[in-house]
Amino acid sequence: MVSARPRWQAALALGALPLAFLALMLIAPLVRLAAEAGPGASAAMLGAIWTDDYLRWRVLWSLLQAALTCIAALVFGVPIAWVLARFEFPGRAWVLRLLMLPFVVPTLVAALGVLALWGPRGLLGGWLGMDLQDTPWLLLYGNLFFNLCLVVRAATDALGQVSASRVAAARTLGATPWRAFWRVEWPAILPWLASALCLVFLYCFAGFGLALILGGQRYSTVEVEIYTLVAHELKLAEAGALALGMMLLTGAVALLYATIERRLATPARADPIALRRPSGAGQWCAVGAALFALLFFCAAPLLAILARALGAGAAAWSALLDEESLQALWNTTRFTAAALLLATALGVTHALVARRSVWLRAAAFLPFVVSPVTVALGLLLLYPQWSATLLLLVSAYALLAYPFVAKSLGAALDSLPENLLQAARTLGATPWRAFWRVTLPLVQPALRRGMAFAAATALGEFAVTLFLSRPEWATLTTLIYQRLGRPGAANRDGALVLAALLMLLALLAFMLIEGRSRRGAGRDRQRDEPALKGVPHA
Amino acid sequence: MKRRTLSLIAAAALALPLAGYHSAAAAQELRVLVHSSFELPKPLLAKFEADAGIKLSIIKGGDAGEMLNKLILTRAKPIADVVYGLDNTLVGKALAAGVLDAYGGPAARRVAVPPLADGVIPVDYGFVTLNYDKAWFAKSALPLPRTLEDLAQPAYRNLLVVQNPATSSPGNAFLLATVAGLGEEAAFDWWGRMRANGVKVAKGWSEAYYTEFSRNGGSRPLVVSYASSPAAEVHFSKEKIIAAPTASLFLKGGVFRQVEGVALVKGGGQRAAAAKFIEFMRSGPVQEALQTSMWMFPAEPRTARHAVMRHAVEPGIFDSLGPEVIADKGSGWIERWIRVVLK
Repeated sequence: MVSARPRWQAALALGALPLAFLALMLIAPLVRLAAEAGPGASAAMLGAIWTDDYLRWRVLWSLLQAALTCIAALVFGVPIAWVLARFEFPGRAWVLRLLMLPFVVPTLVAALGVLALWGPRGLLGGWLGMDLQDTPWLLLYGNLFFNLCLVVRAATDALGQVSASRVAAARTLGATPWRAFWRVEWPAILPWLASALCLVFLYCFAGFGLALILGGQRYSTVEVEIYTLVAHELKLAEAGALALGMMLLTGAVALLYATIERRLATPARADPIALRRPSGAGQWCAVGAALFALLFFCAAPLLAILARALGAGAAAWSALLDEESLQALWNTTRFTAAALLLATALGVTHALVARRSVWLRAAAFLPFVVSPVTVALGLLLLYPQWSATLLLLVSAYALLAYPFVAKSLGAALDSLPENLLQAARTLGATPWRAFWRVTLPLVQPALRRGMAFAAATALGEFAVTLFLSRPEWATLTTLIYQRLGRPGAANRDGALVLAALLMLLALLAFMLIEGRSRRGAGRDRQRDEPALKGVPHA
Repeated sequence: MKRRTLSLIAAAALALPLAGYHSAAAAQELRVLVHSSFELPKPLLAKFEADAGIKLSIIKGGDAGEMLNKLILTRAKPIADVVYGLDNTLVGKALAAGVLDAYGGPAARRVAVPPLADGVIPVDYGFVTLNYDKAWFAKSALPLPRTLEDLAQPAYRNLLVVQNPATSSPGNAFLLATVAGLGEEAAFDWWGRMRANGVKVAKGWSEAYYTEFSRNGGSRPLVVSYASSPAAEVHFSKEKIIAAPTASLFLKGGVFRQVEGVALVKGGGQRAAAAKFIEFMRSGPVQEALQTSMWMFPAEPRTARHAVMRHAVEPGIFDSLGPEVIADKGSGWIERWIRVVLK
């Protein structure tokens, strides 16, 4: 099924799962909501968006801040990733795992962490004597906090795929390390980077996110506008038009990305560059600088949260043992596990069928592209009898999580050496056997990375609260928001302690998913090589 | 190892969500739609279920405004039999949309402290008002503002944070208070000058209170909150304290009385069970418990006040608008507010 010429029946059977899921959970609700608004109403409104100065400003601002974040994430992310992908140093595996924590932390808690550092009475803000609140800088910082990890993780894995012999050949032929990077490594990691940057762009462009809390209402994104229109004013036509406009815009980005990715896709050879210990002051400085950058952008707000949670005292921590918290812990665990399972099935099948189709590749971005609140209300209209069921809740979690699996796996499949598979098939392996024994071991690091991100999304996801919920389904995230929904120091401390617990749970999940002794893509490759022994090299 | 881990996760994931799902289907099930702030002690709800022979299926529909819109969107096939949490800012819209049925049982005939609307039973009430950080004002030389007008003066620049009325119900209530208290034109004139004077707009109550209010590390010593918030600050304090760290500031045009009620959903079933639930919401135990679970005042007169509620001063004067007026003009005011303050 992943051989050079996919048989159409097999592809169709595989594609049925993710495509049917997208149709039922995403397209149909949107169509239903559009029908509620009245046909044509949305289309008529679409033109009105561009003539409204305020909305146009919002759209342009959203685009600008998303683009700036992408550039910043690229500038900081690639050097950090290079250091993480090439050097072995104590704690490296933990750095890679910890890197994903910002993804898990609820937005409001992250804002508390950022403000504890940079706010008017914050640790750094107070010390430097400046109030960054309400400035675009804090917004950009918040965006990097959430998104730098996406770029760093993708680039680290991509750099682990770069062929060692090609780099060695370039160096032997007299290329400087810089030139070798630019001519050999950079082209090889570009598709992976494009994938991550596209996600970053979509997140920043469409997301509710930290930007809103840190920047105040002046910087709110179009999604907030849609939310206001749908959830509060029930102006479905206007909201539908805005959502459609956003979808066209972000859809174009996704399609552009899919085209680039497909064009850049180059099968790589599986001879990863071995990690080495840094030698000399220069290399240790590079490692130090990379770690400092991560500390500054990603870890500092989390440490601030952790410090405040630890300072909360015994009473706040013992509250973790009450029935409510334990129930939330259990709910978070089981919902995440169920959503992860579904997201993995959807992501793997989607990645496999999308290999040759630009449209299907772009379709994997659909869950990021549509506005969650419109989907939520569409689902409510479409399936009122299912509206407060666990099935719908878990499906919603999976919908928001599965693109990570599909994207990560898609990039790995692109760089899969074709000759190994051909060899396996020539030697009589069935397509299924070739997939199981050759493809799967080779793409496993990428699959695990995608799953880890999917799990992180499910653990920290708040958008699902847009759907109907039940008190007995409270997750850690909803409980945190519940605590922060009423006054009092004990509530705030309780929320911070729960956030610390959520981070701990996420770390556990990452360890489970990514394996016992994950040392980055390069190491995984080496460890996985015995799996290839059954397949002679062509 | 890897495969075993994965299959373990898979097996667990398949089994977990379904565990305990089909536990109680025998009792009569009543679907209750509530807003996200609904909370009553679990034993109290369990006792009601046992006494009445009813299984409560509580569905949270987001904040009150979102909840009502979900009710309106699904009126052809209602998602609940009874709804709690519609307040006087929303009940007019609900009645106009025809999603409620009138209830005429004993609770409807009893006097409630504040009335709501015909057929909708008041359960509790509260006041949206300014709160201030006592420590901040004690440290600064600035006196407390005595009118809303003071807040528009340069001395009070950058001191107030409000919620966006389009995304937050206290934000909307505060906007309504200014319109009711100052008159529409004067109110929007004031909002325009407040914009120039640096009023900060947050998305919701939590963002305003926990990231902007100076008591929690922000820079604004004045925040739109509830008259009961100082009591909650005492109740949820880390150490035992005898005085609240915050206090309400009742200014003309800055206090709105919010009345929340429970109602029958049109097209919903289980009328007998729904009636029992409505009466339950007005019963003594619920009226006492809701004071410290939802931080509202009980609608049933002569309900004993919780001791901590002495920190929640009830304002002598406040502003209210009729549900019909709000249903008629509310969304227009929000639009105008967005134009004046944000655009």
